[in-house]
Amino acid sequence: MTDSRGATESPATTAGGSVASHCPYCALQCAQTLTPTPAGSLPLEVTGRDFPTNRGGMCQKGWTSAEVLRASDRITEPMIRTADGGFRTAGWDEALDLVSSRLADIQQRYGKDKVAIFGGGGLTNEKAYLLGKFARVVLQTPFIDYNGRFCMSSAAAASNRAFGMDRGLGFPLADLGGADAVFVLGSNMGVTMPPFVQHLAGCRARGGLIVMDPRETVTAKLARDGAGIHLAPVPGSDMVVVLALTHIIFAEGLADLYYLESRAQGWEAIRRSVAQWWPERAEAVCGIPADELRRVARLLAAAAPVHGGSGAYVLTGRGVEQMSQGTACVTAAINLALTLGLVGVAGSGFGPVTGQGNGQGGREHGQKADQLPGYRMITDPAAREYVARIWGVPADHLPGAGIPAVPMLKALGTQEGARALLVHGSNVVVSAPNSGEVIDALGRLDFLVVSDLVPSETAMLADVILPVTQWAEEDGTMTNLEGRVIRRRKAVEAPGQVRSELWILRELAARLGYTTGFSDDAEEVFTELALASKGGTADYSGITYPMLDGEGVQWPCPATDVGAATSGATPLGTPRVFLDRFNTPDGRARMMVVDHHAPDDDVREGAPTYLVTGRVLQHYQSGAQTRRVEELSAAQPEPFVEVHPLFAERMGLVAGEFATLATARGHAIARVRVSADIRPDTVFMPFHWAGPGSANLLTNDVTDPISGMPEFKVTAVAVAPVATLAPIPEGATA
Amino acid sequence: MRVVLIGHGMVGSRFADDLVSRRPDARVTVLAKEDVAPYNRVLLSSVVAGKSDASMLSLPLESHPRIDVRQGVRAVSVNRGDCTVTDSTGEVHHYDRLVFATGSAARIPNIHGIATDLGLVPGVSVLKDLADAEQIVAQIPRARRAVVLGAGVLGLEVATGLASRGLSVTLVHHHGRLMERQLGDAASNVAEGSLGRLGVSVVTDSSVDRVTERRGVLSAVELSNGTEILADMLIMCAGTITESALARNVGLPCDRGILVGDDLASPADPKVFAIGDCAQPSEGGTGLVAQGWDQAARLVNAWSVSPGSQSHAASQGSGAKGADEMDTDLTNVVRVKAPGLDVVTMGLSGKFDHGERELRAVRMSDPSIGRFVEVVVSHGILVGATVVGDKVAAAELSAMYTRMIPVPSDPAHLIIRPLAGAVATVVTSVEDMDDDHPVCQCNSVSKGAIVAAVHDGCTTTDEVARATRASTGCGDCRSLVGDIIGSCAAPDLDTVSSDSRPADQSAATKVPALAGRTKG
Repeated sequence: MTDSRGATESPATTAGGSVASHCPYCALQCAQTLTPTPAGSLPLEVTGRDFPTNRGGMCQKGWTSAEVLRASDRITEPMIRTADGGFRTAGWDEALDLVSSRLADIQQRYGKDKVAIFGGGGLTNEKAYLLGKFARVVLQTPFIDYNGRFCMSSAAAASNRAFGMDRGLGFPLADLGGADAVFVLGSNMGVTMPPFVQHLAGCRARGGLIVMDPRETVTAKLARDGAGIHLAPVPGSDMVVVLALTHIIFAEGLADLYYLESRAQGWEAIRRSVAQWWPERAEAVCGIPADELRRVARLLAAAAPVHGGSGAYVLTGRGVEQMSQGTACVTAAINLALTLGLVGVAGSGFGPVTGQGNGQGGREHGQKADQLPGYRMITDPAAREYVARIWGVPADHLPGAGIPAVPMLKALGTQEGARALLVHGSNVVVSAPNSGEVIDALGRLDFLVVSDLVPSETAMLADVILPVTQWAEEDGTMTNLEGRVIRRRKAVEAPGQVRSELWILRELAARLGYTTGFSDDAEEVFTELALASKGGTADYSGITYPMLDGEGVQWPCPATDVGAATSGATPLGTPRVFLDRFNTPDGRARMMVVDHHAPDDDVREGAPTYLVTGRVLQHYQSGAQTRRVEELSAAQPEPFVEVHPLFAERMGLVAGEFATLATARGHAIARVRVSADIRPDTVFMPFHWAGPGSANLLTNDVTDPISGMPEFKVTAVAVAPVATLAPIPEGATA
Repeated sequence: MRVVLIGHGMVGSRFADDLVSRRPDARVTVLAKEDVAPYNRVLLSSVVAGKSDASMLSLPLESHPRIDVRQGVRAVSVNRGDCTVTDSTGEVHHYDRLVFATGSAARIPNIHGIATDLGLVPGVSVLKDLADAEQIVAQIPRARRAVVLGAGVLGLEVATGLASRGLSVTLVHHHGRLMERQLGDAASNVAEGSLGRLGVSVVTDSSVDRVTERRGVLSAVELSNGTEILADMLIMCAGTITESALARNVGLPCDRGILVGDDLASPADPKVFAIGDCAQPSEGGTGLVAQGWDQAARLVNAWSVSPGSQSHAASQGSGAKGADEMDTDLTNVVRVKAPGLDVVTMGLSGKFDHGERELRAVRMSDPSIGRFVEVVVSHGILVGATVVGDKVAAAELSAMYTRMIPVPSDPAHLIIRPLAGAVATVVTSVEDMDDDHPVCQCNSVSKGAIVAAVHDGCTTTDEVARATRASTGCGDCRSLVGDIIGSCAAPDLDTVSSDSRPADQSAATKVPALAGRTKG
């Protein structure tokens, strides 16, 4: 390896003060070298670093990530709301005293469960862990959940019940390169995590990239010119495609029956259930020709090891997961992969493509309403006993399971809900579904505390804003989309009075009577986290910070692995999971029967069009960070709605002018973009913006009965042109 | 609630499963005439065609404590006064509600010589159940010539299926048009042409008068026009008759099938219902499983406790469309599953009356390649379509029809759009690109920015990457960046292009090199 910037394999720091870290944004966690530039206009310079995931590549977000450190409106001191509705700055002691006294008061008067915590999938493992511990030990509230509920909950629920474990991709990303086929369901990694696309080069060269999306996205276009197949089903009908593919595989005798017999249970019930989805029936529901479905099924089957192929992967994204049948849809995808004998086999596999930076680690260590560190269930007496012992409290000190994000937010300020909320690493006002109601719910609170970098839309509603460190200002670990635990390293000092959430939690805990057990040193917290995870599904107990200097470690990595680690040659952890058995009592994958239902809010008279939501390359999540980066904001300055030319023509929409969108939840306004990449019955809006162009004013907050995932991805909408305010001159062309 | 269900086919079995999951107090006794688990009749023709494994026919069979399936047991009589059903074992079942889901049987036309006292002459068959399919499949290896009687959906599927297995097939139809209820003359002619290309000879306006046997086995058939055709197999796909004898016997009003109202109840007895092929609702029975499944979902919904209070999602049931909202007219999408012959019709198709509604019918006929598309639009909604030989249009139109999606203002786009959609973005040459043409999507780098970098002295893709970040994301634009460098350099005839080319070639198939670093 050579690198003119001087980054090396094991680069904690170098002589030039550079550190090896990873991008602040998505779950690909592109490796970066951060070089402080004390004299520069920005605090540091960012360059790509060779790593198994990004191979040195970065997208525009990564290249410009240093900008966020210097956002002009960065919050650098605690802020307290004033009587006139504004904010004033405050010292830490005042702010923390206020927070702790208000929380204590509310809990004393109304009960422990009247304080809730909302976390984020971008927080480091250490922060996520400590947040969960703070909720259970200090606040003793069951109400903690996080924005990963909007992201990975369906995939996690489906993986857990099928395999007994959810590690995101159960294999190194680079394994994709050798496969003959990769089936991407509802993910647009070409836009959301561009360097990922390198790993698709192999299957594209062999004509095996299959992308399912109602739009011909950047990712779908990668399948052009013989590189693969793009399937554009009617929104909400993706699952029908998957069921029909499974039908065809059984019907044409392409299933891997030996694998199904030896490694799975329940396949006969699956075969019976998909008997109802013959391709011609599926065609009328999903709009994809029956023969096209056959072509895809045969392509996938030919790539499967049982038919002599080099391997096939089935990858799911938010497109199929953010549905009220999201868990079922991922389950259908898992059943498809199992039917072809792909899971737990080197060179093939199934996996969801995690979205948020630490979407994986964030769901493993106690931020979820029903979980304790190590992906343990809080309802499991043994797990409670073990974790409580680590935490130095009796097991009955720990509260029970809380409720998922959407109902938790809905209940705020009501009889059943919390009266105070702490928000960390999330901008729920923009990112939650039916966001108009979320704003109302936050307004009902007695007390809202938001820890944030910038005055995000959620922070602006707070009673107290606590300024926190981010990315290059802090140490910690993240767990990427392939379950790889990696190091985030501090390169520069945070500005002003900014503090880490670890420090904030320590200070609050002390004020609320817990003077020990809350370290603000990331490595100390990680050591405790590792111990707390020991014996759990997501077992980090064999991992230490020094072990993460190279390419990180893919969990599970029980403490017993440590001996092997010293040689340096032995790979640590578990790059590929399930090779011998699944994490179920009998070692077999469980195949669960699932069936399709139409979207909750399906097209109808008055709302005859589908609205789908998603992302653009330049923005991340609610845009709180990326909207503050000039270069990104210049490239994608405002909300827009993408429509097909035929739709535009019928509705009288004009490119560059505004359209109004109305659903059963609310209204939004966005500028019209006309593109033939979308189905004529569907319009698309990205969700990165607040205000009247916020897509989540429109989205449906009905949730999946198993995962609690809201139905972000599909709702019925009415679209109309907005009358131009300026008078149109006589004779002007439309 | 005690329910007796007579019939355990595709519609009956789904009804029972859905009912017990929605009504905790429902107990269902199923009298299932056939001595096999419920299976998918729709796929019988696919089994005959060799496209589907017979194991694929098995439908979900969840044993449920509140469903009591009596396999191989028929209903013999119904006493509507006592609300009881007596079965073929003599057992008497009391019901609060009785549901007929008895389906239909193949109609056997009056053909001289097709049957003896032992049943149909060997070689002569219908295709209505699993045993029929197995019998036909068993005959195929020894058969060379087949006659299929009836060019409805099933007849077309069987004819093409047998032809795809190498048999010489003659399709005999009583009408001048194939699928005369669904297809007009032009569409029928196009389909007939396609059948010819698939090796199926079509004889219209004719029927089979008699069959000849040799040594107890079918040897030839004689058509009503006097032609004799040698044949080892005769498969009669001449429609169905509803299984409504029992209902008739107990005084329930029947016409073609058991008459039911919009509530699927018999007008003569509010405790007796009929769903699926045996039922005849006011809009008429289509013989399509979609209609039967829709009826099953509607009946379950109607019987479930305060359906208005159910969550919307739950009320969707397992159907493809919310049963509450489903317009029964929308279940009439007819799809022929014939290898090599794509025929789909929905709503108004074939010969229909243009006079009554404001209808706009637009058609494209392209017989030389076997393609015909007609769309019928009323008030901005697709109310009918006929598609022959255009898979994409068939799929998109049926998805649109069942959802009542508004159509483009010019309905002609419904026909030409799928073809126009195939037009790829024209790949302009580098010279033709505007300066603001995006080259690197991952880093928002335009052609102009790259040209500027070249003018500033960059001569290789790596140097351009360092200067602009182009190609440092997914790496897909790397060769394009090289082309732009080349095009900038060309007029000067210096060494720029030769410097940049080797890097391009190695990179085109590999990962992008990094900004600020070179491989190797």
